Amino acid sequence: MDPRHLVEHAGWLTDTPPTDVGFVPASLRRAPMGVDALDTERLIVNMGPQHPSTHGVLRVLLELDGEEVVAAESVIGYLHRGIEKLAEHRRYNAVGTLMDRGDYVSGIHNELAFALAAEAIMEIEVPRRAQWLRVLMAELNRIASHLVWYGTFGLDTGAMGQFLYAVRDREALLDILEDVTGQRMMFNYVRPGGVVADITPTAVEKIHAFLSTIDTHLDEHDQLLGGNEIFQGRVRGVGTIDLETAIAFGLTGANLRASGLGFDVRKDRPYAAYDEMDFAVPMSSDGDCLARYLVRMGEMREAVRIVRQCIEGLPEGEFMAKVPKVLRPPVGEAYAAVESPRGELGVHLVSDGSDTPYRMRYRPPALYALQAAEAILPGTLLADAVVILGSVDVVLGEIDR
Amino acid sequence: MSPVLIATLRVLAAVGLMLLNGVVLIYMLRKVLGHLHVRLGPTELGPAGMFQTLADVVKLLTKEDPTPGMVDRVLYFLAPLIVFVPSLAAYAALPFSSSIIAADLDAGLLFTFAILSLVTLGIFAAGWASYNKWSLLGAMRSIAQQVTYEVPLLLAALPPVMIAGSMNLADIVRAQQGSVWFIVPCFPAFLFFLVAGLIEANQTPFDMSEAESELVAGFATEYASMKFGLLFLSEFSNTFVFSALMVTLFFGGWTLPFVPDALLSGVGGAVVFMIKTYLVIAVLMWVRGTLPRVRIDQLLSLGWKVLLPATLVWIVITGLAVKLGPALIGGVS
Amino acid sequence: MRPDTAALARTLSAVGLKGIEIDDVASLGVVVRATPSNVHTVLRALKESEDGFEFLVDLFGIDTGDAVDVVYHLRSFGRDEDLYVKIDMDYGSDLKSVWEIFPAALMPERECAEMFGLTLSGHPNPKHLLLTKGSEPLLLKEHPIRTAEEVRNR
Repeated sequence: MDPRHLVEHAGWLTDTPPTDVGFVPASLRRAPMGVDALDTERLIVNMGPQHPSTHGVLRVLLELDGEEVVAAESVIGYLHRGIEKLAEHRRYNAVGTLMDRGDYVSGIHNELAFALAAEAIMEIEVPRRAQWLRVLMAELNRIASHLVWYGTFGLDTGAMGQFLYAVRDREALLDILEDVTGQRMMFNYVRPGGVVADITPTAVEKIHAFLSTIDTHLDEHDQLLGGNEIFQGRVRGVGTIDLETAIAFGLTGANLRASGLGFDVRKDRPYAAYDEMDFAVPMSSDGDCLARYLVRMGEMREAVRIVRQCIEGLPEGEFMAKVPKVLRPPVGEAYAAVESPRGELGVHLVSDGSDTPYRMRYRPPALYALQAAEAILPGTLLADAVVILGSVDVVLGEIDR
Repeated sequence: MSPVLIATLRVLAAVGLMLLNGVVLIYMLRKVLGHLHVRLGPTELGPAGMFQTLADVVKLLTKEDPTPGMVDRVLYFLAPLIVFVPSLAAYAALPFSSSIIAADLDAGLLFTFAILSLVTLGIFAAGWASYNKWSLLGAMRSIAQQVTYEVPLLLAALPPVMIAGSMNLADIVRAQQGSVWFIVPCFPAFLFFLVAGLIEANQTPFDMSEAESELVAGFATEYASMKFGLLFLSEFSNTFVFSALMVTLFFGGWTLPFVPDALLSGVGGAVVFMIKTYLVIAVLMWVRGTLPRVRIDQLLSLGWKVLLPATLVWIVITGLAVKLGPALIGGVS
Repeated sequence: MRPDTAALARTLSAVGLKGIEIDDVASLGVVVRATPSNVHTVLRALKESEDGFEFLVDLFGIDTGDAVDVVYHLRSFGRDEDLYVKIDMDYGSDLKSVWEIFPAALMPERECAEMFGLTLSGHPNPKHLLLTKGSEPLLLKEHPIRTAEEVRNR
């Protein structure tokens, strides 16, 4: 019938095994600290795609000298679904479903980026209530996403407890999101023109209940993992990305802010209703894993502040602008970015006047973070490599798209 | 009864205890970790999920047992046994009560340490024979760990021995019967023993050779079915032996303060001993459920730079106290 | 937000690039139209100018129907401005890597090349990034999305 390979590609197992790893030129690699006089052999190991701590299906080829990483190369694409191509065949209202499946941990931000880009071309005026609802949902989603990161980062350092405490809090958030959007992860809630449903009274109650506990829970998280001596020993001074490297490799979001540059799309390119919100942008200049940890934990607290403001000051009005059922933006091109939990998530949209996007480019912040992590892996220990990859917060759904 | 029969019965008793321990400990681990992690642990099978572990044992026994293609077949099959047998033998010298000891050895402490250090050989064999790079890394780590921690562990166990004046585990307990538990005079030694023992028992935060977030499952990566079951069981058994040693050395073994010895000479003492041991294990599980893992270089430097000198210093202090103490305070110990 | 086109023209002419087209696209921003042959000079000049565009936000292609537009989205944190540099590539032509100017381009360039059927030169690791070896250029307009039926009969 059909003798072609079903799962594996044609070169599987017939490709020559890798002998040299990494594209970082030898001159830029850190010198190994081992003794060269001994007759030792380098070990090339495949970390992933089925390794416990590669956050999905990331595969990193590591060349090891004992426990020390000499070179690293990430092999990605295991989760490639062709979202950019599929978007060219979906109507504007339906692209949101695809965007959710990009960075599946923070769907609202993905949808928002696309909606903003479409609105920029169409010049739609979005009602104020919709803008606030977008901010509210995005920040709830940010806390949920950071909690997943916090939990798995702890797993990467070998701790087990904090993961389930993170899941406990995330569960409450997903309940709220489900109440409003009808879905726990694949929301399709933000559409060009506004949002698809108003907030429900039960969701407001749940948010109040959540807000009453989250502060103590965040303190608990800080004590459980952040205050731990062993954890600090594992992350302090590990995986330092200096500002120069961060900018060179296109790092954005919390990772960039941990390296000392306070660029936050919410502040510097305000979208939705962020210009009306009062929040701080946590920063650090150390650039190590601890700095990234602290910045993200700080971001969670700021997100809680924003949620409080949203729920208190939610303006009345429509939640969806008057837009036609089938959107046909004029010919044009626009770029819209949001501050997703992973960094600057951008959508570059090209419209040819038809009812489907002509080209939709999804800027994956985690891809750039992965590049930066890959560049600093040589010279670290295997155990650190796991921590570094965890600290930059990669989500493979977004990297592979 | 012939000596052979008695010996056989003792071995069978040890195997039975070990298996029972394994089943109980796994259930306990699940429940303790579950409640530490704001969840419930097993609840479905049997009262409060008690039979879950039995079901898992059946699963392990009946699972397919594939052998990876390029393993060193002899060593691959032998390794779980090399790990399992010393774990079993280590039960021999444990004094459950003054009359329940499989082998009342004069150098019981030394015997237990010697036999437990064989486990590492088995782990190394498992990692080496698996023909898997992660396993090999785990095996290398376990050797490095062993070399670093065997010495401080033994040194940390010496102060109680010096005070008791015997290497016989039962005698060490009897020495505590008359006076205080040795955790009081040897508190620093207890801390050193706890750390070194956690490393020796391959427990979080020092589970270097398994390190599931780094090395997949370390030396056990390529093992499945009952071969994995044996590795797993011996890990629990080592934890038990280590906790039992700690109870013997620092917490007065089968004795209880203010309880007459006559009550605790037989089964009663064994019950006390088991309860104490399980309490120690519960603390180890608490540690396991909470702490992250240290890095291998941090572990090694902790061993060589902190634990080894500290234990040596404490031995000197204990020695001075044992020799000069009676003269100074008038013969308390 | 939007760079001053006159200042950009001065920056570019200072390195000997005359007559480079600079558009101000209403919904997008300022677009510099470079060519595959001079894009390195343009990018280097933009990066090394005062408060330069030292940050590569994104690099990707657009199949316009006549050619592949490769877009370099740059940002200057000092001036807080975004800028787009576009080059027209013929189908199947050779994309020269800019990773020495912007290391961030390393992975996006691989993706752009594989998705649009371009070859990649000057790149330390010009393998496919997301697609398997030998797969078709997915994002070209001529590459269709097939139904399950069509895939089966392929």
